[in-house]
Amino acid sequence: MPWGNYYIDSTEKGFRKNRRETSLGTLAHLTDEIILEILGYLNVKELLTLGFTSQVLYCFISFEELWRQLTIRKFNGDWWWYGTWKLTYLKRSDPKYDVDSFIKPAINVTHFYSDILFQPFLYSSTGMDQFLGIETIDRRSNLSIDEFNTNYAEKNRPVIITDVVTQWSAFQKWTMKYLLEKYGDINFRAEAIDIKLKNYAQYSVNTLDESPLYLFDKKFGEKCNGILEDFFIPEYFCQDFFNIFGQSRPDFRWIIIGPARSGSTFHKDPNSTSAWNAVISGSKKWIMYPPDILPPGVFTSADESEVTSPVSLMEWHFNYYKETNKSKIRPLEGICRAGEVIFVPNGWWHMVINLEDSIAITQNFVGLHNLSNVLKFLREKPEQISGFSSDSWPSCKTIHETFCKKLQEVYPGLLEKLELHNDSHKDKDNKPSVWEQIKKPDDAEKGFTFNFSNND
Amino acid sequence: MAAELKKVKLTSSEGTEFIIDRKVAEKSVLLKNMLEDVGESDMAIPLPNVTGPILNKVIDYCTHHRDDPFVSQEDDSKKVSDDIDDWDAEFCKVDQGTLFELILSANYLDIKPLLDLTCKTVANMIKGKTPDEIRKTFNITNDFTPEEEEHVRKENEWCEER
Repeated sequence: MPWGNYYIDSTEKGFRKNRRETSLGTLAHLTDEIILEILGYLNVKELLTLGFTSQVLYCFISFEELWRQLTIRKFNGDWWWYGTWKLTYLKRSDPKYDVDSFIKPAINVTHFYSDILFQPFLYSSTGMDQFLGIETIDRRSNLSIDEFNTNYAEKNRPVIITDVVTQWSAFQKWTMKYLLEKYGDINFRAEAIDIKLKNYAQYSVNTLDESPLYLFDKKFGEKCNGILEDFFIPEYFCQDFFNIFGQSRPDFRWIIIGPARSGSTFHKDPNSTSAWNAVISGSKKWIMYPPDILPPGVFTSADESEVTSPVSLMEWHFNYYKETNKSKIRPLEGICRAGEVIFVPNGWWHMVINLEDSIAITQNFVGLHNLSNVLKFLREKPEQISGFSSDSWPSCKTIHETFCKKLQEVYPGLLEKLELHNDSHKDKDNKPSVWEQIKKPDDAEKGFTFNFSNND
Repeated sequence: MAAELKKVKLTSSEGTEFIIDRKVAEKSVLLKNMLEDVGESDMAIPLPNVTGPILNKVIDYCTHHRDDPFVSQEDDSKKVSDDIDDWDAEFCKVDQGTLFELILSANYLDIKPLLDLTCKTVANMIKGKTPDEIRKTFNITNDFTPEEEEHVRKENEWCEER
């Protein structure tokens, strides 16, 4: 129970001394966080032994996060979900463990107050409704490529496009049931573990975790037969200069599956790439800040090489969401629903939270609108480059040079035009679009496109 | 740089003044940040949460470890408690009250290596003991009902065989 209840209870007649002191003994001098820190050093047998000493210590050793760490470290993704991490671990360790007789709480602990033990329960049982309602991200349909380039890509503004994903066969076909039938035994990456889709699905549907494990796999295209045929890259995003790297391009596409409350805390996408994120089923809430505005609750080193957002998604909403209304610069907010795709311009801070069970595809790319930024990033921040396999790229310092070389080969003259454009249009007013500048007169007739097939 | 030779004044809760090298003081991230904000100053930094004897011990630790590199620990790494070197082990041979005060001070002053060390020490006081022995060590009251105790005993039974 939270400490708030303590003050109410203490006025009751016959209120006994706080159970904490008798039940923890001298350990009561320490904070709850410190006690959990100490418990992190104990193995399973030691934890269970400690839990036998008193009611309050029983509560402490049952703390889910401890057992989540133990399970993941020992078993990776090779477990079946039994309702709590503690039960999951014990059952996985001993198949004869009688889960059913221990699934109902049998210990009646009264008058014990702990914000830190109560918090996950509070966060996981509170809905997101109070944080919804603001929709300030543009929604467009019937959008031409030119309109997209002029109004969004070139202006580096996000937009939700509502009529593309509905044309995917994935939109028609993909339910968890369908995916499980086809790919249930394949291992997918979920944060730090590899787990079969069927095991993950069982966890995902039944978990009460405040910050559920999130399935985010970049190799699904290679692992899942036929899956790439179920969707196509929306035409706005087809131009992708990282394609010239072929097989050695950095990580660029993920399938994302997760229950309500799973998601990503504030971050910028790597290498100054832009991204699109398409929801096939479910819905995601997005909160986005422009590149030069630091979101509340986020701390970075001077060069943004290190980003810390020390709180979970729910904790952030409880503690920081109100701030978004107070500052002059408000974030853009919106819900991306099934059948919609959002454009995430390069450099934008974004936070995403699933509002329900969701299945999505996301890709990162380099278009004409952010090519300059990407070149600059690769050149000036090689130590922050990420996603390139170390097998193909033993040193990140060569990436910029290689990229420029390949650009010269495949698109001769492009780099020079880009430089000219950047130099002569340093002021934002009256800046013609990059497209206008770079189009050669005869290209104007064909319509300027970088034609290449997506079969690298 | 001359800054390293600079001295820093700290005052304990009873008002006792301690003068230490800045480099030693900066083992505490709290003090490090304070000093960066305050800049050049002869003023003593008050530490109302830390008594003289405890502050003395903390300074001992920081002085001995003054040249240790700052290690940022990955959260995922397994936590071991059997890697305490001799000096640190000797340092922790104090009564329980002092040990817990050291933990709280390390927490307050944000000296992670000291916090880790003292937490490991407590963990080692729990390891290898029976429930009764643990209760004695920390003066814990067994407040289970007989039924609850039986329930927990059954829960734990499996690990008896392991």
